[in-house]
Amino acid sequence: MSVGDRARDVLARLANASATERILISTAALLLSILVGAVLVLVAGRMTACTPNEAVYYFGTGFCYDPILVFDRLFLGALGDPLSGGWSPDGQFSVTLRETTLLIFAGLSVALAFRAGIFNIGTQGQMVVGALATAVAVLWGATLVSGVLGTVVLVPFGILVGAVFGGLYGAIPGFLKAYADANEVITTIMLNFIATGVTLYLVSGVFKDPESAANQTVPLPEYAQFPTVLFGGRQDFSLVALFFGLLAIAGLYYLLEHTAFGYDVRTSGIQPEAAEYSGVDAPRTVVASLTLSGALGGVAGAMYVMMILGTFQTGVPSYGFDGITVSILAGNNPLGVGIAALLFGVLKSGTTVVQFATDVPPQLVGVLRGLIILFVAMPEFFRLVGKRITDTGSRAVATDGGRPEPAAGSSGTSGDDGGESDE
Amino acid sequence: MDRRTFVKATGVAGIAGLAGCSGGPSGGSTAEPTTESGGSDSSGEGGETTAAETTESNVAANVGMVYATGGLGDGSFNDQAQQGALQAEEELSISFNEAQPDEVAQFKTFQQQFAQSTDPNYDLICAIGFLQADALSQTSESYPDQNFMLVDSVVDAPNVASYTFKEHEGSYLAGLMASLLTTRDFSAGAGSTAGDSTSVGFVGGVESDLIKKFQAGFEAGVNAGSGDVDVLTNYVGGFNDVAGGKEAATAMYNSGADIVYHAAGNTGTGVFQAAQEQGKFAIGVDRDQSITKPSYADVILGSMVKRVDTAVYNAIESIVNDNFQGGSVVSLGLEQDGVALIEGDQLGSELPQDVTDEVASARESIIAGDISVPSTPQ
Repeated sequence: MSVGDRARDVLARLANASATERILISTAALLLSILVGAVLVLVAGRMTACTPNEAVYYFGTGFCYDPILVFDRLFLGALGDPLSGGWSPDGQFSVTLRETTLLIFAGLSVALAFRAGIFNIGTQGQMVVGALATAVAVLWGATLVSGVLGTVVLVPFGILVGAVFGGLYGAIPGFLKAYADANEVITTIMLNFIATGVTLYLVSGVFKDPESAANQTVPLPEYAQFPTVLFGGRQDFSLVALFFGLLAIAGLYYLLEHTAFGYDVRTSGIQPEAAEYSGVDAPRTVVASLTLSGALGGVAGAMYVMMILGTFQTGVPSYGFDGITVSILAGNNPLGVGIAALLFGVLKSGTTVVQFATDVPPQLVGVLRGLIILFVAMPEFFRLVGKRITDTGSRAVATDGGRPEPAAGSSGTSGDDGGESDE
Repeated sequence: MDRRTFVKATGVAGIAGLAGCSGGPSGGSTAEPTTESGGSDSSGEGGETTAAETTESNVAANVGMVYATGGLGDGSFNDQAQQGALQAEEELSISFNEAQPDEVAQFKTFQQQFAQSTDPNYDLICAIGFLQADALSQTSESYPDQNFMLVDSVVDAPNVASYTFKEHEGSYLAGLMASLLTTRDFSAGAGSTAGDSTSVGFVGGVESDLIKKFQAGFEAGVNAGSGDVDVLTNYVGGFNDVAGGKEAATAMYNSGADIVYHAAGNTGTGVFQAAQEQGKFAIGVDRDQSITKPSYADVILGSMVKRVDTAVYNAIESIVNDNFQGGSVVSLGLEQDGVALIEGDQLGSELPQDVTDEVASARESIIAGDISVPSTPQ
């Protein structure tokens, strides 16, 4: 049997993997990545110097870094040490959920665009625009209402403002693509720079907090930020925000799988010509999906301002780019985004714990993070490739004249999305 | 080769390779400090094994360092702060642990982790960089019994000692020197000035109040040297944009400037490159850059150093001596050696005597209060 045939066989096998098998594969990939990472930590531990009493000893050899401690901190530390007794959600676990919340919105933003066959690299820019708009609008709103009423009114208002401005900013590349045939990858990347530059200009000028040396807006009053529910206040986490995130996941899932608009989006993603033939208004779908995608990015920005920082400051972390990885890891499935965002959240918050608890350099922790993501994403990636290779021709999804039955019939199975993301 | 042989061979080679690595715990019981941590060397990993070398019971104090975003190895600000901690480790036998946040939201996380820690219990937590001020004002409130120190900004809390620098004073001297040199024919190293030039340049990183202090002092110094010299100013928009720095400086040199001063972190490397290509001069910032960037020593007239290490060291020393002043604001200027103009390692000796004399006397006048340097651009 030739190599090509064997590869094809493996791909076909992957493509037909059942849900249980896929979970097993992902778990195995995770364990394998930890194993490889552990070896890397050991090797790095041999390449630095330390005193004997700091070192750990395996196989009769001393190593400067302890891989067991590193991974223990990376995962258990991020979850707030659930095994050590006296677990409280108030500690590092809140940081993990905080990061997860932001990544859910960023991931959904990218996933929605991907499903429509659009590479939205501009989530970061949409998030930055939404964040600044929220900060300025809520600051204005905070002068009108205050107290508990202020929270009830201002938080949804802030999210709405973030969504509107993020959406408008997302609509720009949408129009450019739909009516001027401009490649959205290029326009969204360029618009990221514009967003960063313009917000820097605004926030170092008209909107600048005169009290602060940093380029930031006047901090929002306490009542204009996400309220602390049950736990997490000290770590800038609010369960309300996470609830909004879960709501967004469910909402987007329903939108994509159970509405006519979602059908338009998905068919445009799979086969644009066929979708158009079947009556989908292609330019309208492009603009609408990029606008919605931008709105989700804008909400991420609003969360960043109203939950984490309490002000808009230049140098917004790159959640938008992390969102791309989250989305790919999730196979562009909204439900998967939740899980992928949690994994990312654990890794992000665990990194700080590792850095704090060990001498392992942050760069090395970054490598471990990358390894885990790569290993977990690869089987899924090859599964999608396998679907593409083995399935061509067997499924004419959108060529049957706009009758929605095939999609409606297969809705609800995440296995249906093969080929939508791997062009 | 079948799979089993391959796996076996890789395994053997791997273990042999591991055992053969030169590092690992050093054999003797002497707790030797890591000598290979050269700071910003290429390995990237070497410079970070500083923590907890003296974790035995004889530690005078445990110190937590939370660096500014950008992290160690920046060749200026954070490395300078680490220098202070290293010095304290050596001279005061303290032990320190460090964290390098890479985004603003992590400042609070790290500050809290240090504050919460009981093993060891940190006697002092150093927050480096003005962006930490907001997070620290909240953290210091949550942990009233924990001592903090902050560099470059002020948090008004009874358990925070704030250290700021009078960057404008040091920049004034840089401006004065540039102004005096650009109006005469002077050549040294790889650069030269033309006597008929009437402009010098300032390259900033990101426009902010802090960097404007550098600009304001520089402009004032230039004016003091000669009323005819004007300052070309450009903010590149980033502290790590070498190409942008080079572009900005080249434009300045082309339009007649002889000397460019930068307050732009690593962006300044581009300024030095431009100076070398054009055969002109540059002035460095934060550390003695004719030493930290030796390949440009032939165009670096001097550097306006900002002794972040002094601030860190003083704060740690006050903890060790039990006279920590919570709530205090210390402003380090020329008088306290918090800022200074240091002559270039290679070019310093070639500076005309009357220029160095005039700079020295201006320094005395500022300390005496006879010259007051503005901290915002005119």
